[in-house]
Amino acid sequence: MQNLWLIPALPFVGFLINGLFGRRLPKMVTNIVAVGSVVLSFLLVVMVGLDSDWGAKPVHVSYFTWIGIGSFNVGWDYMVDKLTMIMLMIVTGIGSLIHIYATGYMEHEEGYYRFFAYLNLFMFFMLNLVLAANYLLLFVGWEGVGLCSYLLIGFYFLKKSATNAGNKAFIVNRIGDFGFSLAMFLIVVNFGSLDFGKVFETAPGKPVDTLTAIALLMLLGATGKSAQIPLYVWLPDAMEGPTPVSALIHAATMVTAGVYMCTRSAAIFTHAPIAMEAVALIGLATAVFAATIGLVQNDIKKVFAYSTVSQLGYMFLGVGVGAFSAGIWHLMTHAFFKALLFLGAGSVIHACHGEQDMRHMGGLKKYAPITFWTLLIASLAIGGVPPFAGFWSKDAILVAAYHHAPWMFWLGAITAGMTAFYVFRALFMTFFGEYRGHGHPHESPVSMWGPLAALAVLSTVGGYFFNVPKILDSMFPLAEEPENPMLLIVSIGAGVIGIAIAWYMYVANTELPNRIAESVRGLYTLLYNKYFVDEIYDATVVHPVVEGSRAVLWRGIDQSVIDGAVNGVGYQSRGIGSVLRLVQSGSIRSYATWVVLGSVAVIVVMGVIGRSF
Amino acid sequence: MPANFMPSADDLLRFSPELILTIAGTLLMVLDPLFGKRAPRLFGHISILAFLAGIVGALGAQSVTGFSFSNLLIVDGYATFFRILVLSIGILAVLLSYKYLDRELAETGEYHALLLFCVAGQCLMVASNDLIMIFIGLEISSIATYILAGYLRNDKRNNESALKYFLLGSFATAFLLYGIAVIYGIAGSTKLDEIRTALSQPGVSTAAVAVAAALMIVGLGFKVSGAPFQMWAPDVYQGAPAPVSVFMATGPKAAAFAVFLRIFMTSFQQISSDWEPLIWISALLSMTIGNFAALTQNNLKRLMAYSAIAHAGYILVAFAARSDGGAAAVMFYLAAYALMNIGAFAVIIHICGKGEKNLRVEDLAGLGRTQPFVAALLTVFLLSLIGVPLTGGFFGKFYIFRAALQSNLVWLTVLGLLNSAVAAYYYLRFMVVMYMYEPGEVANSLEPLSPGLRAALVLPAIGTFFLGILPGAVLNFARASAVFTR
Amino acid sequence: MNLLDIVIAIPAIGFILALLIPRAQEQAVRMVTLVFSLAAFVLSLGLAVGYQTGQTGQQFVTNVVWIANPEIHYHVGIDGISLWLIILSTFLTPIAILLSWRYIHQQSKEFFALLLLLEFGLVGVFAAWDLFLFYVFWEIVLVPMYLLIGIWGHDRRIYAAVKFFIFTFAGSVLMLAAIIYLYNLAGTFDYALILDQLRSGHITLSHTQETFLFLAFFIAFAIKVPLFPLHTWLPDAHVEAPTAGSVMLASVMLKMGTYGLLRFCVPMFPGAARDNAPWIIILAIIGIIYGALVAMVQPNMKKLVAYSSVSHLGFVVLGIFSFTQLGLDGAVYQMLNHGISTGALFLLVGFMYERRHSLAISDYGGVATVAPWLSTVFLITTLASIGLPTLNNFIGEFLVLQGAAQANFTWSVFAALGVILSACYMLWLYQRIFYGETGEEVRHHMPDLNIREWCCIVPLIALMVWMGVYTNTFLPPVTATDANVLQQSNMNTPLRGAVTLSGGGSHAR
Repeated sequence: MQNLWLIPALPFVGFLINGLFGRRLPKMVTNIVAVGSVVLSFLLVVMVGLDSDWGAKPVHVSYFTWIGIGSFNVGWDYMVDKLTMIMLMIVTGIGSLIHIYATGYMEHEEGYYRFFAYLNLFMFFMLNLVLAANYLLLFVGWEGVGLCSYLLIGFYFLKKSATNAGNKAFIVNRIGDFGFSLAMFLIVVNFGSLDFGKVFETAPGKPVDTLTAIALLMLLGATGKSAQIPLYVWLPDAMEGPTPVSALIHAATMVTAGVYMCTRSAAIFTHAPIAMEAVALIGLATAVFAATIGLVQNDIKKVFAYSTVSQLGYMFLGVGVGAFSAGIWHLMTHAFFKALLFLGAGSVIHACHGEQDMRHMGGLKKYAPITFWTLLIASLAIGGVPPFAGFWSKDAILVAAYHHAPWMFWLGAITAGMTAFYVFRALFMTFFGEYRGHGHPHESPVSMWGPLAALAVLSTVGGYFFNVPKILDSMFPLAEEPENPMLLIVSIGAGVIGIAIAWYMYVANTELPNRIAESVRGLYTLLYNKYFVDEIYDATVVHPVVEGSRAVLWRGIDQSVIDGAVNGVGYQSRGIGSVLRLVQSGSIRSYATWVVLGSVAVIVVMGVIGRSF
Repeated sequence: MPANFMPSADDLLRFSPELILTIAGTLLMVLDPLFGKRAPRLFGHISILAFLAGIVGALGAQSVTGFSFSNLLIVDGYATFFRILVLSIGILAVLLSYKYLDRELAETGEYHALLLFCVAGQCLMVASNDLIMIFIGLEISSIATYILAGYLRNDKRNNESALKYFLLGSFATAFLLYGIAVIYGIAGSTKLDEIRTALSQPGVSTAAVAVAAALMIVGLGFKVSGAPFQMWAPDVYQGAPAPVSVFMATGPKAAAFAVFLRIFMTSFQQISSDWEPLIWISALLSMTIGNFAALTQNNLKRLMAYSAIAHAGYILVAFAARSDGGAAAVMFYLAAYALMNIGAFAVIIHICGKGEKNLRVEDLAGLGRTQPFVAALLTVFLLSLIGVPLTGGFFGKFYIFRAALQSNLVWLTVLGLLNSAVAAYYYLRFMVVMYMYEPGEVANSLEPLSPGLRAALVLPAIGTFFLGILPGAVLNFARASAVFTR
Repeated sequence: MNLLDIVIAIPAIGFILALLIPRAQEQAVRMVTLVFSLAAFVLSLGLAVGYQTGQTGQQFVTNVVWIANPEIHYHVGIDGISLWLIILSTFLTPIAILLSWRYIHQQSKEFFALLLLLEFGLVGVFAAWDLFLFYVFWEIVLVPMYLLIGIWGHDRRIYAAVKFFIFTFAGSVLMLAAIIYLYNLAGTFDYALILDQLRSGHITLSHTQETFLFLAFFIAFAIKVPLFPLHTWLPDAHVEAPTAGSVMLASVMLKMGTYGLLRFCVPMFPGAARDNAPWIIILAIIGIIYGALVAMVQPNMKKLVAYSSVSHLGFVVLGIFSFTQLGLDGAVYQMLNHGISTGALFLLVGFMYERRHSLAISDYGGVATVAPWLSTVFLITTLASIGLPTLNNFIGEFLVLQGAAQANFTWSVFAALGVILSACYMLWLYQRIFYGETGEEVRHHMPDLNIREWCCIVPLIALMVWMGVYTNTFLPPVTATDANVLQQSNMNTPLRGAVTLSGGGSHAR
C-alpha cells in the first residue's frame, strides 16, 4: 500500500500550488487544482478500500522516524482499518462535494485562491489525522485542522468579528489540546510509546486510575475540538467563516475529530468506567443545552451551529454509553445531513444576497425549489424521521443510552423533539410564508445545487445502506439487546411532535411565537443570549487574566518590584557615593583628624590582636 | 665605618640607577639657566635618556644581585622589578608632560629634574634593606612630589594640592618614623632581616611590635592611599597638574607598596596573622569607598583619583593573602595598573586643554566619532580598568583574587569582585559618552594627537595587551622574585 | 589547526580586516564582513559533516598551552550540544549582517566589524573546553553587544546597554570566583580534567562548597538565560537594540546561559544540581507562565517578543533540570528552535520598523492587505513560535514537557499552560498587526518583502519546517551527548520510569 501517503499528499500539493502561485493563476486552474486534488485522493481512498477489503485487512505503513530517541520512537506511520476507512470515505467524499460547491459559492470573493489553498491544507491535515498510526501524528492533524479552521474563520480578515472568532476558536482549541498533550505525556510515561498498536494491546493491564486520568484528559481535548461543554463556545462564532467552511469543517469533519479520537482510544476508555460516564454525561448535557439555545436563534447559520453542537453531544452520548459504532454511525449520517443543511443554508443566503437573518427571509420555496427540497430531506433526516439517514443512527444511540440508563434515553428523546422543532422552524421561516427580504431571491448555479442533490441522496438512504455498527462489528461487537418497540415509537414520536409544533407555530398561526416569547420573557432572553455563557467566561476568565497581567504582573511585579529593586540598588549606591563625598570636606584639619582617628583605631586593633594590653 | 669606605664596582653597579638619575637631575638644574626657554624639548629628551640609562643600570644591577653598602641596599629581582617599573613610569610621565607643559608654557629643567629625583628616591626605596634608607628614599620621593604637585605656581589649585599633600604627607611620615623608632627600640636594628631575626627571639613584647607595625601601617597606608587614610588623594590628585597626578598615582604608589610589602613580608612576617585583619579591612574599605564615591563623580581627575583608591584596595586584597603568590600578584597588578592609568590619563591630558578647563566626563562626548583612534585606545584602558579579558587589568585582578582564594579569603574575593562590577558602571560612562553622545564642542575643536601623547597612549596600550594576552613572562619574573629573606 | 580552529579564527580575522579598511569604504566593509561570515558558516557545516555521532566526548579537539603559569590552555572541541549552537551562531551572523545592510548608516564600519567580533566570541564560548578560555570568550561577547545596543540602538539605548552590561558582568564575576576556586582545588582550568578529578574523587567538595560553587555558576548563567526574576534586563536590551542586535541576542546569546547550565552546572555539580532542581524548576515554570502573561499585554512588538523569550527559555531550563533524556534533548532542541523562530520574529519586526518607523502595535493593522507575503512569513513564524506540529518549536516543547512529565507530572501540567498562553499573545499580536482595515500610514509605508529580505527570511522558514518534520538530521548527536551527560552525572532516568500521577519518581531526593 505504498501510495497511502498520496492521499494526504495530493491536497497538500494543491495547497502549495494555490498558496504560492494562486495569485497569478486563473480561477479555472485554481479550481482544477483544488477540486482535482481532493477528488483524486477520494478515488485513491476507494482504491485503498478495494485493496484492503474496506479495512478488513488492516494496513500499516511506516515512512520515516519523526522523533527517535533511544527506546522512544515516534514514526511518521499511517494505518488503515475499518474505522479509518469510514472516516476517509466521509472526509474525502463530503470534502469533494463541498469543494465543488465552493467553486460556485466563492466565485465572486476576494482571495479566491487563498480560500482553496486553506481548504486543501485542511484536507491534508484532516486526512493526516484519520490516517495517523500514533497519537503524536494524530495530534499533528488535530492541531493542523485547528489552524485551518482559524484561517478560514478569519477568512474575511477585514472584519474584526471574523478575526476575533478565529482567535477564539484557536485558543479554546488550545485549551483542549492542553488536555490532549497531557494525556500523551501520561501515555508515554506509562506505556513508553505512542503507537496505537502498542498502547491498546497493553492498556488492559494498566492501573485503572492511570487509564481514567488519560481518558479524562483526552476527553478535555475532545470537548475542545468537538465543541462540547465547557469548550463549545467557539463553534457558534465560527460561523463567521464562509458557509462551505461551516459545512466542511464545522459540521461534517473537523468537529467530529473528538468523537473519532475517543472511539479510536476505545481500548483505554472501556477500561476507565468513570471516564466513560463523564463522556456520556457531557455529551447528553451538551445535546440538551445546545438544543434549547437553538430553539430561539434567528440567524440561520447560528441555528445549525447549535444543532451541530447538540448532535455532537449525541455522538459523545453514544460513545459514553459504550455504543462506539453507533456514535460513528451518527458521525457519518450527521456529516451527510448537516453538510447538506449548511450548504442549503449557504444557497439560501446566496439566494437572499448574503442575508442570514431568517426574519428577513420566507417564501423562498418558489424561488429556490431545489434548495427547498434538498433542505427538506436534510431536515427530515436530522428530525429522525424514518427512513432518512438520521433516524437510524440516532435511534441506535438512544437505544444504547436506554440500556445504560433510561433517564438518559428520555432526555435524549426530548432533545430529539427539540431538534426536529428548531430545524423545521428554520425551514418554515425561510421557505414558507411571504418573502420578507429585499431584492429578488434566485436559485443557485448547478455547481452549488449539484452537491446538494448528491448529499440529499446520501441523507435519504445513507443511514440504511451504510450500517456502520454492522461494518464495525469486528471492532466493536454489538451488545445483544432485546427489541423494544417502545423506544422506537418514542424516538420517532418525539421527532414528529417537534415537527408538528413547528408547523403550528410558524406556518399555521405565525404570531404565536411572539406571544410565547412575551409570556416567558425571562427564559426567552436567557436562551436568546445563549445563557450568557460567553459573557460569564469573559468576566471570570479572560478579563481577569488580561487585566491582572497588565496591572499586577507587568506594571506591578516587573516594573515596580524587580526593576524598582534593580534601579533602587543603583540609586542607593550613588547615595552612598554622595555621602562618602561629604567626608571629603576639603579642609586639611578634618583630614588630619581622620588620620589620627584612623591610626588610633589601627593601633588599638593591633594591640588587641597583639593580646597583651 | 666599614673598612673600605671606597665602594666596590659591584656596589656602584647595584647603586647605578640612583646615581644616574641624580647626576642627570643635577645636570638639568645646571642646564636650565643656560638654555632656559630656547630649547624647551631638550630637558625632556635628556630625562628620558636618563631613565633609559637607569633601566640599563637596573638590569646591570640585576646581574650582581645581593646586599651592598653593608646591607643597607639589597638588589634582588623584587628590587629590579620595581626599579624598572618606576623608571618606565618616569619615561611615560615625561612623554605625558611634553604637550602639557608647552600648553601651559611651563617647560623648564626644574620640572624634569624633580621628576628624576623623585624616581631616584623610589629606586632607592625599593632596593633598601634598611628602614632608615627606606625613610630617606621615601622622603626624597615625597618632597619632590610635593613640589611637583604645586609646580604651576600661579595656579591656586596646584598650590592648595601641594600644601595639603605636604602637610598630611609629613603628618603621616611622622607615624612611619615613630614606627621605625619603636622597632629599633625593640630589635636594636633597622635592617629588615635583622629585625626579623630579632623579633623571632623569645621574650619580645608582642604588643610593642604590634604597635610598631600599626604605626608603619598608618604611614605606608597613607602613601598607598589605602582607606582609612585615603582622603588626601582626591583633593591632591585633582589639584595637581594632570601629568603629576597620574605620576603620583602610579610611581610613588608602586614604590610605597613595594616597601610596604617588603617590610611586612620580611620583618613582620611571623606576626602576619595579626596584621592580616587590618589589611583585610583596609582593602575592603578602599575598594568600597573608592568605587562608590567614584559613581557620582563628574570630574575626570577626581574620578580617576577615587578609582585609584579602589585599585589600591584590590592590591591590598592580594597583600592580605600574605603569600608569595600574593606578592607576585601585587607586582603584576601595579605594573598593569600603571599602564592603564597612564594611558587613560594621556587621553585626559589630550582633551583637557589649557588650564585644564575640560575635565567633565561630558567633555569626552563624541570622541568616538571625531577621533576614533584615541577613543579606541581609551576604550582598551577602560576595559582593562574594568577587568575584561585580554587586557592586563583582567589578569591583574585574576592573579589577585586567585591568591586571595588560595589563602581562603573567600568573602574578600566575592566582595572585591562585586566591587569590580560596581566599578564597571562608572568606567562604562566614559564609553557611553565617547560613543553614544553627539560630539560636543570639545571633541570637535580637538587638535590632533601630539607625538608625545601618542607615544604615551600607544606604549601603554601595547603593554596592556601584552600583559593581557601573554602575561606569562612578567608573571613568572614576579613569581621568581617575590621571595623575601626568610 | 583543525576545522574548528579555522571556524573560530575566521570571524576574528574578518574583524581585524574590517577595522583596517578606511571608513569611507562602507560598501567594502559590508562585503568583507559578509564574505567572512558566510565563509565561517560554510566551514562550520563541515563540522556537522565530519562529526562522528557514534563516539561520545568532544571532537575536532585542539589543546595547546596558552599561558604556562597558571596553566591556561587554548583547548577547544565540540560535542553534540555545542555543534549545533556553533552552527546556529555562524548561520545567523550573515543574516544579521545582511539585514543591517541598508539600515545602518552611521559608523557602519564599526557596526559590521563588531558583529564579527560578536560571532568570534559566541563560537568561542560554545567551543571552549577550558574554563578560563570559556570565561574569556564569555566576556568578549559582552563588549560588542554592549556597543551594538548603546551606539546603534533606539532612544533609551544607553540605559538598556548599561543595564545589560552590569547585569551580566555582576553575574560573571561570581563565575570567575568559582572558576578560580576550582583551579586552586584542581590545579587546572581544563574542563575535562576537572570533571575527571571531580568524578574520580581526586577533588572532594564538601556539601557547602559544592552548593556555593554551583550557585556561583548558576547565577551567572541564570542572568544570561534569563531566568525569572533576573530577566528584566532582557526587554530593555531587546527593545533598544538594533534589529541585528536583537536577533543575535535572542537567537544565540541567551543560549550561552542555558548552554552553560547544561555544559558546566549539571555535570560538575550533579549533587547540588539535584538538590536545587526543585526551586529552579519552579522559577522556570513561573518564567514560562509569567513571561507569556506579561508578553500578552505589551503594547510594543519587540517587548512582546522579548517576554515571549523569557517564556520559551523557561522551557529550556525546565528540560535541563528534569534530568531526563527527553528533557535534555528537548532543551537543546528548544535552544535551536528559539534561535530560529524568535530570531525570525525579531527579523520581521525589524523589517516592519524599517518601513513604518514604529514598534507600537497600535501603529499597525491591516498589513496583510498591502504586504501579503510579509504577513505570510510572519504567520508561519508565529505558528512556529506557538509550537504548531510540523514546525520546529513543537518538537522541543513536546520533548521538554514529556521529560518533565517523566520527572514529575505536575510540572508538565503547569508548564503546558504556557503553550496555551503562547497562542493567545502571538495570535492577538498577529491579528492587531495584520488583520483589519488598513490605515493610511500603513498603506503608504508597507511595501512587501524585497529580495534582500527574502534572502534573510527564507533560510529561517526552511529550517523551521525541516527541524519540525525531519528531526533525524539534528537529534542524534544531541541525544548521544545528553545520554552521556546524564550517565556521567549518574542521573539517568529510565524512559519507562515508574512515574505515577503524583510523579517525582525519578527525582532522587
